[in-house]
Amino acid sequence: MPREKYSDNNDGLYKEVDTYNLVENLESCLACGKCVGNCPVASLSPSYNPRQIISDVLSGNSEKWLKSEEIWRCFWCAGCATVCPNDIQFPLLMMQLRYRAVEKNYGLKHIMPFKRFALRAREDGLTFAPSEKGREKIKRYRSNLGTSPWPEISDRAKAEYKELFNLTGATEHLEKLSDEAEKPVSFSYTEGRITND
Amino acid sequence: MTEQRVVTPEELFPEVPESIFLFRSCTGSMEYPGTENAIKEVMNKLGVKIVMDPDQTCCSGYLLTCSVYKPELSLAVTARNLAIVEKQDLDTYVFCNGCYGYNRELAHIMKHNPAYMQMANDVIAKQGYKYEGKTEIHHVQELWCRLKDEIAAKVVHSLKGLKVGVHYGCHYLAQQYHILDDGGYPTFHEEIIEAIGGTPVFYKERQLCCGYSVGRGITHKEEMVQPHLYKKFMSAKDAGVQLMTTVCPGCNVGLDREQPNINKRYEDEFNIPVIDLSQLIALALGVPVKKLGFEANTISLNGILTKLGIERGE
Repeated sequence: MPREKYSDNNDGLYKEVDTYNLVENLESCLACGKCVGNCPVASLSPSYNPRQIISDVLSGNSEKWLKSEEIWRCFWCAGCATVCPNDIQFPLLMMQLRYRAVEKNYGLKHIMPFKRFALRAREDGLTFAPSEKGREKIKRYRSNLGTSPWPEISDRAKAEYKELFNLTGATEHLEKLSDEAEKPVSFSYTEGRITND
Repeated sequence: MTEQRVVTPEELFPEVPESIFLFRSCTGSMEYPGTENAIKEVMNKLGVKIVMDPDQTCCSGYLLTCSVYKPELSLAVTARNLAIVEKQDLDTYVFCNGCYGYNRELAHIMKHNPAYMQMANDVIAKQGYKYEGKTEIHHVQELWCRLKDEIAAKVVHSLKGLKVGVHYGCHYLAQQYHILDDGGYPTFHEEIIEAIGGTPVFYKERQLCCGYSVGRGITHKEEMVQPHLYKKFMSAKDAGVQLMTTVCPGCNVGLDREQPNINKRYEDEFNIPVIDLSQLIALALGVPVKKLGFEANTISLNGILTKLGIERGE
């Protein structure tokens, strides 16, 4: 007899989060909790609980996590996926939870610092290239090694990288990001459980 | 999943490749440029030819997981980069766990979802590329494992009992197939350390994440990253680790750059230099120190070099 699934009763509600179809086996979660045991963030912040998050996403209660501070603490180390007996790619769920949060104007303050890096990366074809002063240091170190002062990246690569931003709608996505729309997060917990929504 | 999760280096490389495509890492070529150089020097000593391409860009994974890039962009960038490698008929070798994880994961998504493959190819077709999913993605450390005996035979400066604590980095061990260990209790770095004469130290929090991933070092530094790393350094210090190795320039940033801040906050005295495993191998194989770019490190290597009796050659 096939195992009962959440979607038998709630029409696949978790697809509201998994819009890219990247965690198709989420319903096979056994709630064994190995992910929590192997999570460095859960060890510091008990209210961050991957097993609880999966359970809530499956039953359509993802909203409280979208509003939470907790989802922004994940290191994305994939320790949860490493030990999952059913190979659930929890980090890919976390990525999409964060997209949903941003769409609803939660947690924008946690991604705004990266908008600057993204806009710069769009010009450089490299991520985390520093500003002018930092660049001088890199050039000096690289010259001391006897290599080219700047990583060998062609103008063609830079132009095409930038073009991909336009072709995939990334430019639009980036320009829209602003923390003015930020909604304050309501959050409280007792004994490691989020209590309100 | 039909593919085998853990494979031996010999299964991974029945033949040692004559030439490889080395995938440039942003952090590895800017923050710690000595990493890239060390790999070139070691490959040269092992007789493996390196091909790089200036048309290759960033892998676009880091900012994807910081939620500022959308998957569409990163899929297209991955397809474009790997299409460049495929044109040369080579396999891709990365030296950053980030590049490894993201390239592998995004390539996997494209290979298993025809719609995503189509989407990425439609976009990059406008720039004259086509990604077919032929190139295999490897980490250079796999080649070090495969060529361990050759490396051991070429050691010039034995590491004479230097106590080395390794850091594997999450995004290698978390992959789902064709990796050297499943992350339960990996030992392949320790085997390499032994091969070059060092003493591997199994410290308790050996597999703890570097904390740098996904920008937590920027947005949650004091809240999450520092208490997290404090645990790691405490256990390393207790075990007597003198030097830490990584296989990811990103982990190197997290572990090296953050130490002075942790010292200040917790009033402790951690002074553990962190370098790339490739830099340590290069050092053992007699590559001159000035070719390894240790000046980029926050925690100075001078004590270690003096201990080993290696000329700094400034």
